[in-house]
Amino acid sequence: MEDEQSFSDICGGRLALQRRYYSPSCREFCISCPRLSLRSLTAVTCTVWLAAYGLFTLCENSIILSAAIFITLLGLLGYLHFVKIDQETLLIIDSLGIQMTSSYASGKESTTFIEMGKVKDVIINEGIYMQKVIYYLCILLKDPVEPHGISQVVPVFQSAKPRLDCLIEVYRSCQEVLAHQKATSASP
Amino acid sequence: MGYKSWGGDMNASAGARMPHEGDKDAARACLRLPGLERCVRGTLGRGRRAARAPLGAGPSRGNAGSRRKWGSCPAARPRQGWGPGAASAVVRSGRPDAVPDPMPTPPPESAARGNSRVPGMVLKAFFPTCCASADSGLLVGRWVPEQTSAVVLAVVHFPFIPIQVKELLARVQQASQVGVAVLGTWCHRRQDAEESLGHFLEGLGAIFSHEPWLQLCRERGSKFWSCKATRRQAPTCPGAPGEDQVMLVFYDQRKVLLSQLHPPVALPDHQAGDAVAGAGGLAAVFDTVARSEELFRSDRFDEGPVRLSHWQSEGVEASILAELAKRASGPICLLLGGLLSLVSAASACRVLQLWPLSFIWSKLSTCEQLRHRLEQLTFVFSTQKAENPTQLMRKANVLVSVLLDVALGLALLSWLHGKDRIGHLAEALVPVADHVAEELQHLLQWLMGAPAGLKMNRALDQVLGRFFLYHLHLWISYIHLMSPFIERILWHVGLSACLGLTVALSILSDIIALLTFHIYCFYVYGARLYCLKICGLSSLWRLFRGKKWNVLRQRVDSCSYDLDQLFIGTLLFTILLFLLPTTALYYLVFTLLRLLVVAVQGLIHVLVDLINSLPLYSLGLRLCRPYRLAAGVKFRVLEHEADRPLRLLMQINPLPFSHVIRTYRLPSCGCHPTHSWGSLCRKLFFGELIYPWRQKGDKRD
Amino acid sequence: MGTQPVADTEEAKWQKVLYERQPFPDNYVDRRFLEELRKNIHARKYQYWAVVFESSVVIQQLCSVCVFVVIWWYMDEGLLAPQWLFGTGLASSLIGYVLFDLIDGGEGRKKSGRTRWADLKSALVFITFTYGFSPVLKTLTESVSTDTIYAMSVFMLLGHLIFFDYGANAAIVSSTLSLNMAIFASVCLASRLPRSLHAFIMVTFAIQIFALWPMLQKKLKACTPRSYVGVTLLFAFSALGGLLSISAVGAVLFALLLVSISCLCPFYLTRLQLFKENIHGPWDEAEIKEDLSRFLS
Repeated sequence: MEDEQSFSDICGGRLALQRRYYSPSCREFCISCPRLSLRSLTAVTCTVWLAAYGLFTLCENSIILSAAIFITLLGLLGYLHFVKIDQETLLIIDSLGIQMTSSYASGKESTTFIEMGKVKDVIINEGIYMQKVIYYLCILLKDPVEPHGISQVVPVFQSAKPRLDCLIEVYRSCQEVLAHQKATSASP
Repeated sequence: MGYKSWGGDMNASAGARMPHEGDKDAARACLRLPGLERCVRGTLGRGRRAARAPLGAGPSRGNAGSRRKWGSCPAARPRQGWGPGAASAVVRSGRPDAVPDPMPTPPPESAARGNSRVPGMVLKAFFPTCCASADSGLLVGRWVPEQTSAVVLAVVHFPFIPIQVKELLARVQQASQVGVAVLGTWCHRRQDAEESLGHFLEGLGAIFSHEPWLQLCRERGSKFWSCKATRRQAPTCPGAPGEDQVMLVFYDQRKVLLSQLHPPVALPDHQAGDAVAGAGGLAAVFDTVARSEELFRSDRFDEGPVRLSHWQSEGVEASILAELAKRASGPICLLLGGLLSLVSAASACRVLQLWPLSFIWSKLSTCEQLRHRLEQLTFVFSTQKAENPTQLMRKANVLVSVLLDVALGLALLSWLHGKDRIGHLAEALVPVADHVAEELQHLLQWLMGAPAGLKMNRALDQVLGRFFLYHLHLWISYIHLMSPFIERILWHVGLSACLGLTVALSILSDIIALLTFHIYCFYVYGARLYCLKICGLSSLWRLFRGKKWNVLRQRVDSCSYDLDQLFIGTLLFTILLFLLPTTALYYLVFTLLRLLVVAVQGLIHVLVDLINSLPLYSLGLRLCRPYRLAAGVKFRVLEHEADRPLRLLMQINPLPFSHVIRTYRLPSCGCHPTHSWGSLCRKLFFGELIYPWRQKGDKRD
Repeated sequence: MGTQPVADTEEAKWQKVLYERQPFPDNYVDRRFLEELRKNIHARKYQYWAVVFESSVVIQQLCSVCVFVVIWWYMDEGLLAPQWLFGTGLASSLIGYVLFDLIDGGEGRKKSGRTRWADLKSALVFITFTYGFSPVLKTLTESVSTDTIYAMSVFMLLGHLIFFDYGANAAIVSSTLSLNMAIFASVCLASRLPRSLHAFIMVTFAIQIFALWPMLQKKLKACTPRSYVGVTLLFAFSALGGLLSISAVGAVLFALLLVSISCLCPFYLTRLQLFKENIHGPWDEAEIKEDLSRFLS
């Protein structure tokens, strides 16, 4: 089953959380970030071109203008392919693991999969981000050497940065799955 | 026609007539033959598959010598009447009293669909995508109890003899140390009227006992499957159901077989049986598939007793080129290895280790590069086989890198030798050197005047300036002396480009070093003078304040000096202090020049290093066959219907390019800067000589 | 302080300890409060004329600096022949050398163990080095501007005056540093003179007046105070006279300075002693009074 809800991120932008419930042991959460705004794109392009034009009036070299166009295009392509994340997905499968996918604006997808054997817990933690204190959801990984230790903290939804209400929804669902997983793995 | 299941007096579930299409008489016809070794192969319609009864008896007429697809036997009429006795004699694999089905009746069909309501353990079934359209049969694979997952490796089709199946499995287990077993049954329904097949398949659980017993079933034309896993034993804890939920994970067998996980999971030593169970999670799946090569040896064109379906069942992959290369590599390696050992022996002979020569060899970067290449080639052409995939990759990387290097070098060579470019270069070289010397002369004269408005001490200025000018004059005469031979030298040097572009670049770097030797000399003079001055000044400054350096305690202590010591010390201090600006300026100018030359040489070194250490083969592999280098896996949830088992597709997540470079980076020459920026500035301030590019053999200070 | 009138009527006497439970509050004090306070036990009573006598050391140094600058001025103007200065300096050095031994009858020489041969060697070393380096010294500061040289010299001579060992036992005193600064200043000034001979003679004169003269004066002061006072007065007047011939304003200022240091400052010192109020008591830091060097033997 599938449902969609609207939340906001830490800066106030709108996010959409899509939940898909495939089975009691498999759930997927998909957060879509706000798209690239036309206003900021126009602003950056205009700044770069104005600066280039200023340089051109100083140097009288037309290569500057073509270089500016080239740089703007390359910069936009690079931004879309490497920086702008459109959607972040968290797929949790009981007894297999947790998978996090980031889809970029150019269509590229980067996936990370963590096996259930390595996952200790999924928690909401507070962290200092610039001048704010924000909540973020993270996965704790087990330490192979020390049984009760934590070897790594993997934050989820790093570029969407949803607020606490959205995180609580995801957290509850993940805890249900993890509880079931722990119960079944404890029994022989 | 339906097959009568073996033992006509079997109970109803097992005794149902096997439904199938096509000519059903063919099956019966095969049963009458006394040779119990070969399975009966029933005849079926062309291109259709159906369940086959596990019957004994004679060769199938339909399949004798045919190279057609399974299930495409011509309609041979099966012989009638194989008696229950014969059948039971055939089929019973060592269980004389197993005629009645001892197994409790499995739950009714309705419960086979979907997952049970009671939450229990989730059983993961890894199913190869190539078998998704195979005919019904037995599932063969490995059960990993720690992760409650079943890795299906192949499907054994009807008809078969259980003994032969078990023999095959035992053989595979011995050869590959992987505990393959029969995990369950696979049912692919082509038509609607095949319910009886289901009961028949359940009966097979009696012969091949496995805990839990997996039963996968697929409807024709439907994307959704039904799975169930049953446990025969009584549940150990109350409340745990006798049936588990099943989750299907599809995987591409060929890709999983060929891929290599990074970082490689260290597996314990091979022991018999299932000793490899300790490997974590998905690494166990990869490992199982990779080591079951023995199982995938036979394809459908083989006349073996057992018919399997797996990724190679359409034909074993092989390539003539690869085979030829494997055969030829032995003698080639021997030959080249011998040549290389001769060369290295020649280079290690005593004559070349004498002092002046060994000093020169250690300073030239060309020798370093040649030595490095020799080492690499010896490694590649050694007759030892690669122990693990990492070493194999390294060999391949080195070979590709050397080939690319030589190709680029030959390109450079052809460019140089065409259109008399060497002549032009030689003609341009001497005027360039002259020009550089002239510029230096102007610089020195500027320094001897009032450079940048700074007021220098005239006497010292003149002395230093004249000294350097004299050296410059010597250098120019030397260049002019050499000019007739330049073209010849360049031509020979250009030939060396056939050894590789890196060698050519190293030679270029060495030529630059030789041509700017005078700048290096000036720098050394200036630095030494400045260093002496700074040392003297710091010591006399301590005297000025009435202190001295305690060498034992490494600290500054007070000291009472005599009058004459004080006087002379202060006098010298004053003199050195006022002469400092002049020396400092000369030092600054020559250091900047030297740093410029070092920067140019450094750039060339970086380029050489790049060509040396870039793992081109791995990058190419990552580009063209990304599944070979796996960083992990990723899952995709396939179309899902409520109450049906969950279906996932497992795909290989390839290693990012940066990780590829980091993991497979070849060791470079070791010529990299040894100073941090802070220590470099400190050395410059105190006038210590800097050698930014340390060779591998140099001592560290 | 507690307002506890019932303190003395209590049977238990108040003890100045905190480790016993007493019926008094912790901050209670009794009649014997501050009876161990002592004031000005180490204060010294200064005698005016004694202080004036001691201030003559400072006067001497100021005059040395003044004389040096005056002589340099004359050499720079060309009014003084270098040979004349060299001769005078040599003669007065010899006289002072003989006087040095005569004053205390050779005891100082015996105590320090310094032979005449060592003295001769030192002198030879001085002469040789200075003569050898004088051409270098002459061209040393050619490219530096005059203002810089003057500023550096003033700074160095001031430092010389500050760090000089006037007989006080303070941390800032460093005789080495003061002598070095004086020599540095002299080299700076000497490099401005027209010829290398001038430079050589100037530096030699600086050594005589900054290194040798204070040694002699110290001995004089210790052995014959009366003649010391006379010599000081003579020296001061000659410095004033020399300065007067250059600049009247400077002379007046210098005279004021000398008078204030020798007469005014001691007066102030004795006057201000009356206002001294040092408090001592059992709360002071412990001072080790005995001589612990016997443990180091």
